[in-house]
Amino acid sequence: MPQKLIVLRNCGVINPKDITTYLDRDGFKAFKKAIDELTCEQVTEEIKASGLRGRGGAGFPCGLKWDLARKAQGDEKYVICNADEGEVGTFKDRYILERDPFTLIEAMAIAGYAIGAKKGYIYLRAEYHHLDLLTDAIKQTREKGFLEHFDINIREGAGSYVCGEETALMDSIEGKRGEARYKPPFPPSRGLWEKPTIINNVETLMNIPQIILNGAHWFNQIGTDQSKGTKVFSVSGDVKKPGVYELELGSRLKELVEDLALAEKVKMVQVGGATGKIIPYEMIDTPLAFESILGAGAVTVFDETRDIVDVVYRSMEFLAEESCGKCAPCREGTEVIVEILERFCRGEGLEEDIEVLQRLASAMMLSSLCGLGQAAPIPVIDSLQYFRSAYENRIQKN
Amino acid sequence: MDEIIVTINGSQLRGSEGMTILEVAQENGIDIPTLCYKTELKPIGACRICVVEVEGSRTLVGSCHTPIAQGMVIHTHSPKVLETRKTIVELLLASHPDSCIICDKGNMCELRKIAADMEVALPPFKVRKRYYPIEDTSPYIVRDLSKCILCRRCVRSCSEIAEKNVFAVAYRGFKSKVVVDFDEPIDKEVCRDCDVCTRFCPTGALSKPREVGEEKKGEALFISG
Repeated sequence: MPQKLIVLRNCGVINPKDITTYLDRDGFKAFKKAIDELTCEQVTEEIKASGLRGRGGAGFPCGLKWDLARKAQGDEKYVICNADEGEVGTFKDRYILERDPFTLIEAMAIAGYAIGAKKGYIYLRAEYHHLDLLTDAIKQTREKGFLEHFDINIREGAGSYVCGEETALMDSIEGKRGEARYKPPFPPSRGLWEKPTIINNVETLMNIPQIILNGAHWFNQIGTDQSKGTKVFSVSGDVKKPGVYELELGSRLKELVEDLALAEKVKMVQVGGATGKIIPYEMIDTPLAFESILGAGAVTVFDETRDIVDVVYRSMEFLAEESCGKCAPCREGTEVIVEILERFCRGEGLEEDIEVLQRLASAMMLSSLCGLGQAAPIPVIDSLQYFRSAYENRIQKN
Repeated sequence: MDEIIVTINGSQLRGSEGMTILEVAQENGIDIPTLCYKTELKPIGACRICVVEVEGSRTLVGSCHTPIAQGMVIHTHSPKVLETRKTIVELLLASHPDSCIICDKGNMCELRKIAADMEVALPPFKVRKRYYPIEDTSPYIVRDLSKCILCRRCVRSCSEIAEKNVFAVAYRGFKSKVVVDFDEPIDKEVCRDCDVCTRFCPTGALSKPREVGEEKKGEALFISG
């Protein structure tokens, strides 16, 4: 299946430093349509009907989120764009921000109108500090008069992985230590500064103007039953052509990895970054969709020369480092798992370790406070399922 | 106020809007263990000991902070819940010093009590322990952070009850730590003798300095032999 461009339609076509090139590509037509022809409710209904789901990894229905925030009572409301892009192996948001900041701004303005917010924040990953063109794009949009009732501020993160988690992100914007909050209350009812807030990934928002312009029905035709539209993937690892690819949801992992990115002798693919599921080569035909595997779109390919235990150990080391330390299962559990995997890497695993790993993984997945702790053991569980012998071979013999 | 009916462990129980699962359980004599939760403090859901199973929920939920909803079906002691709680206690014990027999809080320690109640013995895995120097320069408070389980009751009680904000959490993950200022040892400059936090500490991490007894004030005795 060839690439299908909805999110990336302007990337490389317009000049990101010049708003007029964007206006020539139907820029801000969706925004005008929304405020001139549609009520707030009609906008959220349109998004609901389109079946658009969050592209940050969790896949929550976008329209429902907006609708909850629209109905929520609050003297002030906020729209946040999550551009933290902390997931290991994702770089699609940077690619988008560098090439088409205007669509994002337009989408945020539409979101602001839909839920009744006057202020929006772009939470930008600290490493993307160089993206001055984003500030410039906001300025140009303001000058053209599209941000009269809604203003956008950029807030930079300080390099914490967990701040990509929505509640930790809001703490970070509030100037606090970035740590997950418990849910409920969910952000649409009590989010940033306890006010109704919607928080969407860059890529989710990029779909909005096209949905408003072309209608929910058009969008609804693309993709699978439960996964509508396209997905932008960041492919890296042992491939000849790493990069950003946009495919219709439901496309096979094989098409992306082998046909587009030209990978050879694939041993496994990790889909979704450090906490992503591990897909062995035998399952390379798995469709990429919310029903099967997706995550935030990080696709890391490992060829036959790679050692699975080492890969999982490094993932866990990263996650242990990035755990915020608030909840016990994640703070302590990631550390114990790292120590056990380190033993396996040295070839000194213990017979009972595999059972311990499974017990810890289950407790962490069931009881951790946020997505980091809940998803952290996934690579461990998956590698134990598909590559168990790699572990067993490293159990100390005597 | 609206009445909400939930099912806990098979019995239909009544609560009102805004109540948490833990509050309804406690009102009805169902014992759910807690560590970071205290009625006087705002819940933070950090220790995860109080997790319960709510039908339809992908994960277990913290009962101290999850509000009840109409028709919720809750299991507070299902095998899944007990197994998870047990693993969390083991995790907390694994990095805790093995000095219970000489710890002043030994028999009052809430972690130890929960471990005993849940029949958790020595954890089946090892992890490095956090050893920090004991901070005993303050005349009002002795801190031994090696025994800290990061429940943050001191942080919250100092902020919410004493309204002093002496404590904060610094560093990340396993290395996170309750600190004073820029991670300085606690001294009398920052902390007075309000004694709020020491009463909230579940373990031996915070205590009052031992009073020097009268016996040490007498003159030295020399026994000739």
